[in-house]
Amino acid sequence: MKTMPMHPHAQPNFRNLFWYPFKITLITALRTFPFIGKRFGKKLGAYHNTTHPEFLDDGSRARAASSAEMNDISRQEFAPDRVTSDLKPTLWKPQTVQYPYERLEDMEPWLFVPGNYNGRIGVIWETCTACKMCVNICPNDCLHMTTELRVDVLDNAQGDNAGFGAELEVGKYAAVEVPEVLETLDTFNHVTAHTAPPEEWRFAEVLDLSGDAATVRWNDSGEEAIVATSDLYPADDQIVSGRIDLGRCMFCGLCMEACGFTSFFMTNEYDGMSGFTRQDLWFDASRTRVLPGVHQEAVDAELAKRASKERDKRAKKAAKAAAEATKGDA
Amino acid sequence: MDDRYDLVGFFLSKDGVLRSGIMGALEGTPLEDSAGALSFGVATFALVNVVFLMLFFSQFAILWIERKAVARMQDRYGATTALRSLWVGENGVTAGEWWNMLPFGLGKPLGAVNKWLNAKFGNRDENFATVDRVNNRSWMGKTILPGFFQNVADGMKFLVKEHMVPQRADRLIFEVSPFLIVSSTLLILGMIPLSSGIYATNPDLSILYAIAIFGIAPIGVFFAGWSSNNKYTLIGGIRSAAQLTAYEIPLLLTLLSVAILSGTFNIVESIHFQHSAGAWNIFLMPLGAALFLVTMIAEVERVPFDMPEAEAELVEGWWTEYGGMRFGMLFMAEYIRTYAACFLFTHFFLGGWHLPFHGTIGSLPVVGEAYLLIPGAIMTLVKSWLVFLIVFVWARFALARIRTDQILEFGWRMLLPLAVLQVVLALVYRLYLFNPDGMSAQNDVAGGMAWNAFGIPYLVPILTTLFWLGVFWVYLNDEDKSAMSERMFHVHTVEPAGTVVPGQE
Repeated sequence: MKTMPMHPHAQPNFRNLFWYPFKITLITALRTFPFIGKRFGKKLGAYHNTTHPEFLDDGSRARAASSAEMNDISRQEFAPDRVTSDLKPTLWKPQTVQYPYERLEDMEPWLFVPGNYNGRIGVIWETCTACKMCVNICPNDCLHMTTELRVDVLDNAQGDNAGFGAELEVGKYAAVEVPEVLETLDTFNHVTAHTAPPEEWRFAEVLDLSGDAATVRWNDSGEEAIVATSDLYPADDQIVSGRIDLGRCMFCGLCMEACGFTSFFMTNEYDGMSGFTRQDLWFDASRTRVLPGVHQEAVDAELAKRASKERDKRAKKAAKAAAEATKGDA
Repeated sequence: MDDRYDLVGFFLSKDGVLRSGIMGALEGTPLEDSAGALSFGVATFALVNVVFLMLFFSQFAILWIERKAVARMQDRYGATTALRSLWVGENGVTAGEWWNMLPFGLGKPLGAVNKWLNAKFGNRDENFATVDRVNNRSWMGKTILPGFFQNVADGMKFLVKEHMVPQRADRLIFEVSPFLIVSSTLLILGMIPLSSGIYATNPDLSILYAIAIFGIAPIGVFFAGWSSNNKYTLIGGIRSAAQLTAYEIPLLLTLLSVAILSGTFNIVESIHFQHSAGAWNIFLMPLGAALFLVTMIAEVERVPFDMPEAEAELVEGWWTEYGGMRFGMLFMAEYIRTYAACFLFTHFFLGGWHLPFHGTIGSLPVVGEAYLLIPGAIMTLVKSWLVFLIVFVWARFALARIRTDQILEFGWRMLLPLAVLQVVLALVYRLYLFNPDGMSAQNDVAGGMAWNAFGIPYLVPILTTLFWLGVFWVYLNDEDKSAMSERMFHVHTVEPAGTVVPGQE
């Protein structure tokens, strides 16, 4: 009788068929108990705290070595990878991360969410030029471009770039800063809030301009008030904005790649994208917004670009006017 | 030795509170003449209910043990349902307002209490919307034994589900077979003693009764498989019937050897024998214990002998077509059978309600007295749970399901000869090694010395155990390669693919 060639370790004898399965499962169960897993970790199948042969490249190996101290179970309070505040850590070894009380990033900082992870969409609306490349490339048709009432970056610029924005005009919009909201914005956390960040502007329609004071009608209350023009920033209701239907989004990241102005990002934040209704998954501009604290450099660069453009434009205009003046003189 | 907590005596003795109270109340009435019989009837009814409830509710423990053991194997928490989840709901809607489902508005006050509890002790976290949202459900780590009541939740779910019968099914048989299985399963519990003082009934031939009643359910299984008119259930039922003889005969022979060794067909007496003779049966017949466990795993259709309900191939096997509470009852029946198997192993091989080193520790001055205060019923339960965890659950993790031909071969060619050998061994032990003079009186705490040999105490169980441990060790280290083709388990493909070209050999 011909028989199949058989791996020497696969002999169907009592040991392999009966005893080893029992032994392996016993070890698997035992090493999840902290005391046992910690004390006999290496004997019980080297589960915790071992080198990782799958790290083949130098960079990965170096990174693993740098965090080896964190992985060293002899330095940890409990043998399991994660320490929790359970009543009986010995009996109830928690592998489960008690999200949102615990977050994996906090417990195992060496297992960070990779930067190239396609998470929640983030848009630096200040630098968006409404070219619609992202909308066109979206295979699921989940991006929608609209306009909304906002203050343009150029309009509230400070320092060198100041003075290139629009002017206050009667019949158009203006806004004042809400300082208490501005303060909270620095610590606002998209991840835990599950809402749009609060609006740092209070918008109004300009009814009358006279010298240093302007008569405005607040958009929120409809009341009229007189405000110093130095507090007012010109606002525009034609500023680009957009909505994203995250229920249709497949996080392919094509929009990010299509964006020629690096305004469109896939952040590596994996939460803050849920809701009780389908409508909750319609994220408007304020929820996809990358907050100033994160992207100030990008905004500043964009600001400088636009300001210099505007400056050039004005300089050219001035030169042209001067040339015409000289021509007229001649 | 009798357990000191005598529930049977408390209920059934004529001097007991219950019966004397009833008889006193009936004095002077026309029922006075039959007061004894009446009070006996009432007391028996009460006793049977108490014992049955003890057995039935302690069964939750093994379901929980299995859940948690599986969870540990898979490195997770497992089910965490708590009673608390009945009143802590989501966003103010508590567990689906289940109290509104009770008839006649009976649940209204319950609902009010729940709402108050939820408002007062709910999981509100004003600081974090996310935390609040996640909090609004059940567990939050605030319970002992998380998941213990999952089975209650499952049961309630089964209860409210629709009962469906397949259109082409044999309706009568389809409806009857779950009752056949469940009722025969509950009858097993009737004769399982928790201790010498806690049992519902104690027939003289209770070992025979146990086996007979265990053998009824497979008929129901076959009925169910046939009547569902579904190929999966039919295959499951036929597999069940096919493997029946392969393990039933070795099981019967093993129990026969237990009966031979103990000289009785009564479970309680066989436990008394283990104490009076001085050694638990597992040390006298480790082979019998192993055989009993293997055949019992097959009998209750658990991994690795669960071909009748092999999920991977047969959906759910013979009970595929059952839904709702029929499914729930069949599931429960299966676990009760498993639980009964654990009890029987405890009783036949682990000395029933007796504490380990009962005599030695029990004779110590103060510690011994405290030790002997541990109720026998608790000991029985703990032993049974451990048997379930260490044998049934562990085997379920470790072993893969074997094929029908493998279990048939295993049963007929290995278990049966070994069971016959065990019967012979039991005869030899009882006739030639057992020393009746060493038997202690039944209520002697110290226990007997009936298994001495050559004047050395406990020599027979010690040598027996060492011998079988040696056999086990030899098997563990056996690398007998030349015997490979002779081995069972092994299936050679006679003409492996690629080695033969048809028509050219």
